[in-house]
Amino acid sequence: MDLIAKYFPNVIVNWQGDYGFVGAIKQTLYMTFFSAIIAGILGLGVGILLLTTDKNGLTPHPIIYSVLDKIVNILRSIPFIIMLALLASFTRLIVHTTIGPTAALIPLIASAMPFYARQVQNALVQVDPGVIEAAQSMGESNLSIIFNVYLVEGLPELVRASVMTIISLIGLTAMAGAVGAGGLGSLAVNIGFQRFENDVTIVATIFILILVFLIQFIGDILVKHLTH
Amino acid sequence: MTIPLVELKNVDVKFKSNHKVIHAIDHVNLTVNRQDIFGIIGYSGAGKSTLVRLINLLQRPNQGEIIVNGQNLLDLNSKQLRKSRKKIGMIFQHFNLMNARTIFNNVAFALKGTQLSREQKKQRVNELLNLVGLSDKAQAYPSQLSGGQKQRVGIARALANKPNLLISDEATSALDPKTTESILNLLKDLNKKLGLTIILITHQMEAIKQICRNVAVMEQGKIIETGSIYQIFTNPRQQLTKDFINTTTHLNESINVILHQDQISYLTNEEKMFHLFYFGETTDLPLISTLYQKFEVSANILYGNIEMLQGKPIGNLIVILSGKPNMLEQALSFLKESQVKVEEINFKFNRGK
Repeated sequence: MDLIAKYFPNVIVNWQGDYGFVGAIKQTLYMTFFSAIIAGILGLGVGILLLTTDKNGLTPHPIIYSVLDKIVNILRSIPFIIMLALLASFTRLIVHTTIGPTAALIPLIASAMPFYARQVQNALVQVDPGVIEAAQSMGESNLSIIFNVYLVEGLPELVRASVMTIISLIGLTAMAGAVGAGGLGSLAVNIGFQRFENDVTIVATIFILILVFLIQFIGDILVKHLTH
Repeated sequence: MTIPLVELKNVDVKFKSNHKVIHAIDHVNLTVNRQDIFGIIGYSGAGKSTLVRLINLLQRPNQGEIIVNGQNLLDLNSKQLRKSRKKIGMIFQHFNLMNARTIFNNVAFALKGTQLSREQKKQRVNELLNLVGLSDKAQAYPSQLSGGQKQRVGIARALANKPNLLISDEATSALDPKTTESILNLLKDLNKKLGLTIILITHQMEAIKQICRNVAVMEQGKIIETGSIYQIFTNPRQQLTKDFINTTTHLNESINVILHQDQISYLTNEEKMFHLFYFGETTDLPLISTLYQKFEVSANILYGNIEMLQGKPIGNLIVILSGKPNMLEQALSFLKESQVKVEEINFKFNRGK
């Protein structure tokens, strides 16, 4: 304890409270969790639509595909820091503020959703087309093929894609923190950087790394368990 | 005359790719009778896979009629079509099993959406695995199985809904010869035991020879020749058909080997080399000894092959016949009278170097 007090004095000072580490960790987890859930559901839907409306998909539909494809490409091209600014009025309309973790969810979802949609598409397109054909020959409906073949056979790849998306989301929450969303990123920039309290930045980084490693670790175990 | 199980009438399939139109199926008519084992042979790209995919409408034709079980599949809506597909089993070259599911669940997958209770499904799956000899592998995953075992699972899965038709799309092409034989024997058994009609496409004449009763030869989207296996083997009309047959009798190879032997460069004027081809009853006659007794023509057999097709023998011999020229003439006409096809092999021109 003395050692921590000696080398990380500001960490102890900034431990408790809404603007301390405890609060920041909660905010980071909150932002990551909810943006991952919502972007995950939306991204999965869009990803599956991209997969099925593609010209080699179950129900090719060039118009829907090209519209979705372009939206995803455009959203993915907007840098997150600009997305924060761009969506400010939209965020204010929905959450009535642009500050705080809940307000940050809107741009986080807007950025992560297209990223995840593309990841889902790429993960599921790797499912052996022969297996899809076999399911069709057995008289399965397209809906059944999506849920019982694509999502089951593609699950390991889907988990990999999800881990990647969640990890990049953690990165985005830190960036959102710099413009008032709170969380570990905010702590590292607003206290660690601007008050020259480097120990705070270092410990905030360590917490982020622990979070990333933990998610990667769980993901790897899941993939291993799911791959036969 | 019973109604055929499968009838394709004047079906035509064209693929468009990069402004080029590929005529994959060119106005094909095909009839497959109930309980038949019908082979379709052709080189890759001939359109065989496209043709069989028409039968369960995985491929839609640009024109024509597809009648299976007395129903024109093109008249069905998608729900009816899915229902009728359950009565058409299909197995594939690369097995197409679901890696994330156990063998049991791969087979059970085909029973999804049926009226069976959980218990009945379980019983049916075990019955099927028993049928293909894989009861002990129920809880294994496909990656733990050999190619032959995977194909057995594919067969069990295809039979889950008690289809009366099984389509085999190059099902043995990825297997070694021994496994191929055991899979073909299994198909033959199923045909006998369950009265299952089988349509088998392949590029291996061996496979056709082993189990098919009727065969169609395909080239460039057309069926160029069709008939019973015996007709096709004894009286092939198209060059492609002859080529396929020769690959199984190894006749061309053998002629090649023989032509490169020194022995034949010593042939005198009284010796000639022939290819003798005979089938049916002729094979029962002691031809070679008769030649010597009647005409004093002796035969030196360089190569011989007898095949059994549907229980009837078909023989190929390459012989050097030697005797006095006039006796040789008489011997040859005797052979022709005995329904033996005689063809002189003119080695002097073939030998080259």
